[in-house]
Amino acid sequence: MARDHILVGLEIGTSKICVVVGDSKPDGSIKILGVGQAPSRGVRKGEIVDFDTAQKCVHEALVDAEEKSDVMIQSVYLGVTGAHIASFNNRGLVRIPEDQDEITEVDCDNVRLSAREVSIPSQNMFIHSILQHYYIDGQEGVLNPVGMMGNKLEADFHIIHGIGTRVKNAVRCVKEIPLEVEDVVFNPLAAAQVVLNQHQKNLGALAIDIGGGTTDYLMYVDGAVRQSGSLGIGGDHITNDISMGLRIPMARAEKLKIDEGSVTLGMALPGETVTLKDDSGFAGKEVERETLNTIIHMRMRETFDLLKRQLEAGGDLHLLGAGIFITGGTSLLRGIDHLAQEIFELPVHITHAQTMSGLTSAFENPQFSTAIGLIKYAQAVQMDRPSGWLSKFTQRLPIFGRKR
Amino acid sequence: MIEFNHKQQIVSDGSEQVQIKVVGLGGAGLNVIDRIVLDGGAQGADLVVMNTDVQSLTSSVASRKVQLGRDATRGLGAGGDPEIGSSAAEEAREDIRKALDGAGLIFLCVGLGGGTGSGGAPMVAAMAKESGALVVVIATMPFTFEGKRRSRQAEDALIPLQATADAVICFDNDVMGDAVAPKAGIHQAFAAADETISQCVRAVAGLFTQPGILHIGFDELCAALRPGAAGAGRCLFGYGEAEGDNRAHDALARALRNPLMDRGRMLDEAHNVLVNVAGGPDMTLNEVQTLMEALTKHTGDETQILFGAAVDPAMAGRMGVTLVSSTGIAAAMAGVETQFVPHVMPAPMPVHVPAVAVVATSGAIPEAEREEMAASVEPGEELTLEAEPAMTGAAAAEVSQTSLIDLSPLAAMPQTERPEPQPIQARMPRLPRQPRIMTAATDPQQTPLVPKKEEKQETLQFEPVTRGRFEKSEPTIVDGQDLDVPTFLRRNLKVS
Repeated sequence: MARDHILVGLEIGTSKICVVVGDSKPDGSIKILGVGQAPSRGVRKGEIVDFDTAQKCVHEALVDAEEKSDVMIQSVYLGVTGAHIASFNNRGLVRIPEDQDEITEVDCDNVRLSAREVSIPSQNMFIHSILQHYYIDGQEGVLNPVGMMGNKLEADFHIIHGIGTRVKNAVRCVKEIPLEVEDVVFNPLAAAQVVLNQHQKNLGALAIDIGGGTTDYLMYVDGAVRQSGSLGIGGDHITNDISMGLRIPMARAEKLKIDEGSVTLGMALPGETVTLKDDSGFAGKEVERETLNTIIHMRMRETFDLLKRQLEAGGDLHLLGAGIFITGGTSLLRGIDHLAQEIFELPVHITHAQTMSGLTSAFENPQFSTAIGLIKYAQAVQMDRPSGWLSKFTQRLPIFGRKR
Repeated sequence: MIEFNHKQQIVSDGSEQVQIKVVGLGGAGLNVIDRIVLDGGAQGADLVVMNTDVQSLTSSVASRKVQLGRDATRGLGAGGDPEIGSSAAEEAREDIRKALDGAGLIFLCVGLGGGTGSGGAPMVAAMAKESGALVVVIATMPFTFEGKRRSRQAEDALIPLQATADAVICFDNDVMGDAVAPKAGIHQAFAAADETISQCVRAVAGLFTQPGILHIGFDELCAALRPGAAGAGRCLFGYGEAEGDNRAHDALARALRNPLMDRGRMLDEAHNVLVNVAGGPDMTLNEVQTLMEALTKHTGDETQILFGAAVDPAMAGRMGVTLVSSTGIAAAMAGVETQFVPHVMPAPMPVHVPAVAVVATSGAIPEAEREEMAASVEPGEELTLEAEPAMTGAAAAEVSQTSLIDLSPLAAMPQTERPEPQPIQARMPRLPRQPRIMTAATDPQQTPLVPKKEEKQETLQFEPVTRGRFEKSEPTIVDGQDLDVPTFLRRNLKVS
């Protein structure tokens, strides 16, 4: 499967379904061969609500991607999100038997399993358990314990879990196409792989992916995933707010948001209006610009406030040396970086997938960060798997955890 | 205006009452006093202006004027320097003393940040205190755009004021400016600020000069202004009046619409909220209940509600609500404030109030309402209204009311009730002699069993809540709020 170096990332988003086909080079670089997308229907807040419609859209996007990249897609890495996904940090511990000389890979697996021995809601399943740090007999900073000696092996893991049926729904949707799902990845984890580089992860960085239906985030501190989660608010909410506030249809509100919307208040001239054009191009309703911006501002401010509160609860916000990296479709909203900067009081960057080659238009668009990230994630996992041992490089990358 | 003062003169000669003086210090204070006069004056109150700038003093319409710093500034302003302001006030010490003499209650309106206001206010407040009066300072903090230096000067001046005055009501100009539409001119922003303060002075003066069924006293006012647990805070004030079937709701909505109320959002953080409800004889208990219930949805679980009610025949068919609160003044001042609060007396309050007095209770309110309802009316018109009692309808009733007011509660107050020139504690002995009829009101105080926030959502929405696109999806609920409902709706922000 993996040896063919063709990797496909599939993101079933709230606003669009996106398939990115990439070629993984032996030197670790990735070349984007093609991007297929289709407007999404039947998806709300990152979760499938209308199975058949969503499946049709996935199919459309896949066909589009196959045409563009000239590749037969057989298996994909599937991104999942949704407010049901939660995370926590836990430490696993195993004792090394007296007669055993050195720590083996089996012990590393066991420590991972022991970290998972916590109670999560019964309907939930583990999506990832991401290694943070190893400790041998309490000694910190062990990167690779295999081959070392010790009596007690401990490891901190960041564990991401979500409601099993909802994750499986997405998987089923793809499998029925039919298509193989190689792995399920939590969206911000994928996005963080391409918007953050290793240096930024070490310094401490927060990746925020504001999509159509959800705002997903993942925080790296000291090179390890510290916090992650998903908030069921996204660009759709802004559109809905505009639609309700100005009493215009959703489609018109979406266009207005993209063409004219801004989160910055006080920039509009007093009484400045925006004329809504109807489909035939005739001037329709007039909307006061400041009103439009106020609606957007209120929503974004609240979203960032909520996010800040959640992150502050973890108490790691002050550890972000590299700052905040915002990506996703909603990051294209004017002035969003200034608002985030004001609220988080940290440097904020609007960013997109880095270090890729191929289709420039694809990776320079923040809307595709997650889908491209899925490929990057897949590459890291595959480099890890066949080799059978954890190299120093891949150890720092999240490793897909086995499902129960 | 002259007529107004004239009337006051006659009244104060003929009766024994607590003399109220409203002092405007500095340019901003002067503007506020002018605004009060234009709005119809504060009943039973002498208006005094003090400034270094002779030009503005001359143009002021107040009855009594004190020039500060005759030598220090030679009739010019203090040039934004508090030290000059301070020495100017020092120079006019005797004049100030004379102007303040004999008052039982002094409101000191001052705009902090400039020279005369920041420099003179601490001294004037101290002298007012020395004269034995209760001192309520109404201070405005400068707009941010006026620069950091002014803000600092304002902060510096505020600290001694907090220490001397019995209560400090601090208005933030920035907040008031927010209430003005962005396209409004700067003069409108300042005018809005003056208007709010004038409304506040008149409402507060009315509150504790006029007795009600459930009376609000000075102690309640102090409690309402007492700092909360949170650090720096600000004063919340709102007044609203409405008539019709839904008047209870409408009046509250109007009170909350006041810029300083921040649409009731800030009330959530307030520790104490003073509420005075006034209405005609047709005001029903049910309406008061409705109103208080609607209000409790804006307040937190821990908030103490200081409730007062008054019946006024002139208010027939209408209801008025006054809200005063504070989100807490800077923690540093908390000690000072709480220290004096326990000693503060309720405003003199005869138990057997003559019928006229009850009638007059909400006298402040018709005026405040008039200001609100006829904001566009020319000052001149309002003055004629005041002068000609032969008006029709409610307006006439209000006007005749104003004259009654002057006679009623204050007349019922014996001379001995006037605060002596002593420290606050000295007033304590009056307490036993003044049985308060607040007892009935303590119940609503202690039972603010506020519904939880979740319920707040459902009841606040007068229009049916729609979630639009998210109608059929699982709601995103965080901290009890349905985030699918547009933020601006949840925050009661009016758009389009």
